[in-house]
Amino acid sequence: MAEAQFEPRIVAFLCRWCAGAGADLAGTSRLRYPPNAVAIRVNCSGRVEPQWVMEAFRSGADGVFIGGCHPGDCHYVSGNYKARRRVHLLKRMLSELGIEPERVRLEWVSATEGAKFARLMHEFVEELRALGPRTDPGEAAPSAALPAPSRRKG
Amino acid sequence: MVGKPKIAVYWTGGCGGCDVSFLELGAPLLDVLAKVEIAFWPALVDAKRADVEAFAPRSLAATLINGTLRTEENVEMVHLLREKSQLVVAFGACAHLGGVPGLANLVSREETLRRVYGDGFAIAPPPGGEADDAPPNLLPQAQPLSTEVTVDYVVPGCPPPPALIGLLFDALLSGDLPPAGHVFAHDKALCEECPRTREDRVLTKIVRPHELVPDPEACLLDQGMICLGPVTRGGCGAACPKAGMPCTGCLGPTPHAGDPGLAMISALASLVRAGDEGEASFAGEDAVLDSLVDPVGTLYKYSLPSYVAKRRSG
Ligand code: SF4
Ligand code: SF4
Ligand code: FES
Repeated sequence: MAEAQFEPRIVAFLCRWCAGAGADLAGTSRLRYPPNAVAIRVNCSGRVEPQWVMEAFRSGADGVFIGGCHPGDCHYVSGNYKARRRVHLLKRMLSELGIEPERVRLEWVSATEGAKFARLMHEFVEELRALGPRTDPGEAAPSAALPAPSRRKG
Repeated sequence: MVGKPKIAVYWTGGCGGCDVSFLELGAPLLDVLAKVEIAFWPALVDAKRADVEAFAPRSLAATLINGTLRTEENVEMVHLLREKSQLVVAFGACAHLGGVPGLANLVSREETLRRVYGDGFAIAPPPGGEADDAPPNLLPQAQPLSTEVTVDYVVPGCPPPPALIGLLFDALLSGDLPPAGHVFAHDKALCEECPRTREDRVLTKIVRPHELVPDPEACLLDQGMICLGPVTRGGCGAACPKAGMPCTGCLGPTPHAGDPGLAMISALASLVRAGDEGEASFAGEDAVLDSLVDPVGTLYKYSLPSYVAKRRSG
């Protein structure tokens, strides 16, 4: 019996002005692309907080995709530039933590680039398959900003 | 007659700085000591584990525990003390968030043991004696106190500043206790009490403290130092920024900031520039961001075990 192929789970934050529309176009054009991603629409890639990316990993995602408008096209002028700087710093942190930085991917996808969106999804799924499932525990200890409920009460 | 309330102070995987920090209270410490009975405090009083075992359950009014949890013995002792205490206080950044020793979570327990006891310099036989080279029973990771026992209060800091220690004793001795879970520090960010002028300038370079003699008035973050004031609780009086050193986050993040490192990544990404924004500046912006040496050690200096907290296994 052939072993089931590893199906990575992806959370995709898609800017609704561009990548989100691009994903819709891929759908309505009946382009085939792997169904591994859960899409979350955001108003701009610059709205995607690093906390959300880590939350996706904590919730079991193997990869996080962020789709934003091409440079110069962001509806809010510079949200995509901010997203790019955030992702750059976040990736450095991930490598220090032992999480492969390739698990986060930021791409520019316009509303007319349905085919590009489909291709990027193929690529990302293949890349994550090659990396394999995330083996690190990933889940943080209960947030200790306040004392957390204990596992074993004394 | 009801006797004085009994208190205990215990250390787990700490450096001793928290024990010493009580001295910084100065004269008020004498008042405190006059009003309580110290039942157990390894740094000061000669009492052993067997003495603690003999205490009646809940006979200690409060136990202040400093240090991170790193060995099986640490865990046994804090459970024992929890059983004997009405209140347990996480004292200092190690007990609160994992602390500086929590950065060891970036490597495996095996790697830690190898570095310290294998290739290490740490154990040499005492003159004329034998090496006691059995490594301690290290837990896989360093853990904050709240992962093992219920923590009633937190006095944060590395070590806690005297003003905040004073707040704890005021509450304990007056009996006017805050709700469970209280952290004896401000909920607002340190920037609110810092006398430096913050203008949210864009950052065109990131500098480490030894690379710059800072302007005495201007915000250190505006001058390119990674100051964690925007995401860290106030309450220390901004002692470090006043002395020209950036805040490294020892009081822990504000409730609003959540994960301090991720919140700071957001803030830095908003501030960094290399000329006008756009494709032509991407490489320059990356170079500025890359001049932040060791993001994890800088942004989670005291809190790694409590947040992103991933470590390599094996
Ligand atoms: S909180 Fe700081 S001073 Fe206290 S034990 Fe830990 S490292 Fe030492
Ligand atoms: S020096 Fe630090 S604490 Fe003071 S205002 Fe600037 S960022 Fe905030
Ligand atoms: S609006 Fe699409 S990235 Fe900003």
